[in-house]
Amino acid sequence: MTNALWAKMHGGTTHFPIALVMASVVFDLAGFLLPDNPGKTRRAGFQAAGFYTIVLAALGAFGAVVSGLVMSQGQLWGRGNLARHHVFLWPAFGLLIGLANWRLVVRDRASPLGFKIYLAGSTLTAVLMATAGYWGGELLLNG
Amino acid sequence: MSIEAKAALLGSAAALALLGVTFGLSPFLQSATVAASKEQSTNIISAAASPALEGEAKRGHSLFDHNCAHCHGEDARGDEGPSLYDLKKTDGRITRIIEGGIKGEMPRFGTKFNDADIQALLAYLRTLKS
Repeated sequence: MTNALWAKMHGGTTHFPIALVMASVVFDLAGFLLPDNPGKTRRAGFQAAGFYTIVLAALGAFGAVVSGLVMSQGQLWGRGNLARHHVFLWPAFGLLIGLANWRLVVRDRASPLGFKIYLAGSTLTAVLMATAGYWGGELLLNG
Repeated sequence: MSIEAKAALLGSAAALALLGVTFGLSPFLQSATVAASKEQSTNIISAAASPALEGEAKRGHSLFDHNCAHCHGEDARGDEGPSLYDLKKTDGRITRIIEGGIKGEMPRFGTKFNDADIQALLAYLRTLKS
């Protein structure tokens, strides 16, 4: 496959994990902060949505990372905006994989404190991913 | 040990392992993709019946492949951006376009490329003759 095609694939795949992590944080925050309904389904519903979106985000991140690495011919850091993109990307990728695994194991057995720490981590991941996305956009627009 | 602590250990191990695999495999990927890119370049050059690239032009082609081919096409014959064959503009004009971009059409590369990079790109662009 050509370099240009990998670049287009990276552009196509990279938005899924960014959006899914953000959605996961929103769902988890809603489940954590909003009062539950009498049937006790609202909080569980939000938490299930938060669970599936973080797992899908982690799976989607593989496609984004692989296409990005092939596109940049294996460059892990680079320079200029590519380096800025990577400074935020690698911690975000590591955090995302770690948090998705934590969530897969713990499921709905998290303690309030454990879930608060998880939420802080997933919020940080969303911010790091959005920032990596910003520098990725700058790379595209300004070289 | 609580389930949360076990999950945290597993999550950390998975994250570190995956980052390790990514960083560990990167050099192999780098050599594989560079080799593939060289082969592709050779094919493109052969198809265009151009002389083999050397020195600055070769480095310019590598820079082009990483930064310009997305829009101008792998063979520089145009895709979303125009063909770069048989450019009539002067070196100074091309340099200004690379550095400053074209509003709404082409990004600026002034902060990314130094003078040597632009000279290499110019050397490559001057090899593109139909």
